[in-house]
Amino acid sequence: MRTNVMIKRILLALLLFCSLPALAQAELITGKSFGEEGNEIIVNFAKAVDRTVASSLDNYIVYEEPDPDIRLSLHQIEIAEDGRSAVLKFTEPLNTTQTHVVSVKNITPSILETFKVSKSYLGYLLSILIGAMLINNFVFTKYLGLCVFFGTSKRMDTAKGMGITFTIVIVVSAIMSWFFYQFFLKPFDLNFLQIVVFIGLVSLTVQAVDTVLRKVNPILFNAFGVYLVLVIANCIIIAVPLILADNEYNFYESFMLSFGAGTGFLLALYLMSAVRERMELANIPPTFKGIPIAFVVAGQFALSFLGFSGLSLF
Amino acid sequence: MATDKSNFQLVVNGILNENPIFRLVLSMCPAVGISTTVMNGFLLGIAVLFVQVFSSVTIAIFKNMIHPRIRIPTYTLTIATWVTIIDMVLAAYLPEAYARMGIFVKLIVAFAIITMRLEMFACKESVTSSFWDGVGMGLGFMAGMMALGFVRELLGLGTVLGYDVLGFKPLLFFVLPFAGFFCVGLMMAFFNYIEIVYKRAKAIQG
Amino acid sequence: MKEILTIIFRLTVSCLLAGLVMGGGYIMTTKAKQHNEHVNEQKVMLSLLGYSKDNPAPSDVELHEIYRYVVTEDEELSVAYLIPIPGGCTFVNIGLDGNFIGQVPVEISAEKVIKAGDRDKAIMAALGEGKAIRFADQTIVVTEEGFRMAYLLPGEFPGFKTFIKVILAVDPAFTLLGLEIMEHEEDPGLGGEIVQDYFKGQFKGKPFATIKTLDVAKLPIPDEYLQALESRKGGISASEVERIQQLYSDKDIYALTGATISSRSVTSGVQAIVKKFAYRVSILDRVLAEQGIEVSF
Repeated sequence: MRTNVMIKRILLALLLFCSLPALAQAELITGKSFGEEGNEIIVNFAKAVDRTVASSLDNYIVYEEPDPDIRLSLHQIEIAEDGRSAVLKFTEPLNTTQTHVVSVKNITPSILETFKVSKSYLGYLLSILIGAMLINNFVFTKYLGLCVFFGTSKRMDTAKGMGITFTIVIVVSAIMSWFFYQFFLKPFDLNFLQIVVFIGLVSLTVQAVDTVLRKVNPILFNAFGVYLVLVIANCIIIAVPLILADNEYNFYESFMLSFGAGTGFLLALYLMSAVRERMELANIPPTFKGIPIAFVVAGQFALSFLGFSGLSLF
Repeated sequence: MATDKSNFQLVVNGILNENPIFRLVLSMCPAVGISTTVMNGFLLGIAVLFVQVFSSVTIAIFKNMIHPRIRIPTYTLTIATWVTIIDMVLAAYLPEAYARMGIFVKLIVAFAIITMRLEMFACKESVTSSFWDGVGMGLGFMAGMMALGFVRELLGLGTVLGYDVLGFKPLLFFVLPFAGFFCVGLMMAFFNYIEIVYKRAKAIQG
Repeated sequence: MKEILTIIFRLTVSCLLAGLVMGGGYIMTTKAKQHNEHVNEQKVMLSLLGYSKDNPAPSDVELHEIYRYVVTEDEELSVAYLIPIPGGCTFVNIGLDGNFIGQVPVEISAEKVIKAGDRDKAIMAALGEGKAIRFADQTIVVTEEGFRMAYLLPGEFPGFKTFIKVILAVDPAFTLLGLEIMEHEEDPGLGGEIVQDYFKGQFKGKPFATIKTLDVAKLPIPDEYLQALESRKGGISASEVERIQQLYSDKDIYALTGATISSRSVTSGVQAIVKKFAYRVSILDRVLAEQGIEVSF
């Protein structure tokens, strides 16, 4: 009971701490985003602004963050009835994948208000997650981790066990690999040690999860323990750290990638095992029984996952 | 306990009886992913051959000094070292080949076939036997990849090793990922069929 | 206890051994790797300009590298170029409105300037305290007998899957001389076809006016155009190819079948690179002329 209360208090403190910066400043700009049409930026103000000032094109300077010397040309500015929001229309479509920097002068006298507009970062993180889970599913689109996949997808309970164990191990080892990469390999130019270090971390994680699980929850260990050893021989487990090192992801992005990879694997296993359990009862020709027909079914799944290709939600 | 197979038999064993891809059902990932053309299969086969042979020989040399409890980490370390070496050598001297294989060269470290072979063979047998077994396994892997690559390249792009044979592209989807699954499945079924026919013939004879 | 110690000892020894082997391999191969990359880039650049093994570049053709940086000083941003001048390099700082801010000479040798780390350090040493720099991009000015012949523009933009890295060649009037795709991760057989002559070749010869409004047409390529683009396969004379290229030089890009998004990405990416470059190089030339800065090109 006491630990629960403690945890709640800590969480509340954290929440307040995180929201302090937002509460401290009374900003003029309360909201900013890209508009529905490809060439708009929408700005919301905390109070009504002077219409003549706000709709004058000369008072605005807009550029894409990496190219500060290329000014984007504004076509028209529409101010809402209550003066609290403005729609900036540009002559050409905006490249919404880039962060744009907008500077407004004269709205607050002699102050240059500058703010950045970009697609929501949370959206970007979620798109990495969905990408790793569906669009670039590690089993069906990148064909990694297949040995273990075919071995453990015969029954639904083994599939679930393997999937969950795998997700835990991959998230933990990806985070550790990220730390090692950022603080050891990159600064000391030891990139050629990537493979060895990553696989070492994976083995360490498996060993750690094994020991922890044994002590903390022996029942769970009996259910999932045997899969832990199989995790090491899985291509995905080393592909994820290699990808996050290659793309130079930060902490949150790495977490999303590994979590997506794990859940994608779980999803693939679950789907596959559901079909294979049914196939046990089906009338399969002897040459195809067992692995060959499993491969053909996997091919069909891969074909259906191809439909996710190019999906872009955020 | 030394194996009673001759060196030649070891090599043949790796290619036919215990072919890593079709019989032992190991190292599926590259079989599906990279076997889009014969050239890709050949190149990755060479890389795997190299890693397999060198790892087998290294472990066979040091087999008496490896403490049983740290077997697996030692194997992993050896394989990872050789994979890193081949990765660097390929990147430096064969950049086009390296670009085609992409991440798969680095992933050789996770190929079950190599670890399995070290566990089952190299830590028990002599250096020469391990060498030839490694060669056999590597060749078997390469043969399997090239066979798959041949089928996929011919049916998908109409070429063999880049040479336009058919002049048109019959079924383009064969070079796409999912066709790899189909092909492997079908070829395995084919091998099964041959085995059944062979057994039936033997049963009739004997 | 003794067992654990032996295990740890043996493991450490094996790790060290492995580390030594890999380190040795790294030292031996890294020079070759960088050399390979450099040679490959040179080959691509020369082929973009129309030179090849059968038609080698004349000896007075020179490549001059200009590196563009974004400089931050007390929250003020400005653009700066590291330019080769007779006898060394100079760092020219230009404000966002095109006004000349200043220039400083930079001490760096020709071999070291290609390496990003050495280059950044030399520039920081020349600039002094209080300024931060960020590398933006690189341009290569090609001169023949001292006159500007072409510009090579490496660039990167998002494609259908991830990024597409290209190198463009434009002439001094910003007409596209060629396009080469360096890296991409598009689907083979679909978006991957952007590397084929019949797509890349469409960009060749497009004048600046067309590039500014270039769009993608979802129509099949006319047969004669296709034949001209694939002229390497033979069956068509060089003068025919020229005539057809001329005919289609102000048309939109014909999209690849089943890869409209990849085609659009490449088109808008190329358009952005050329437009931005044209804007920037005119400012740079104006500043260089006004300040009387002598440059190698």
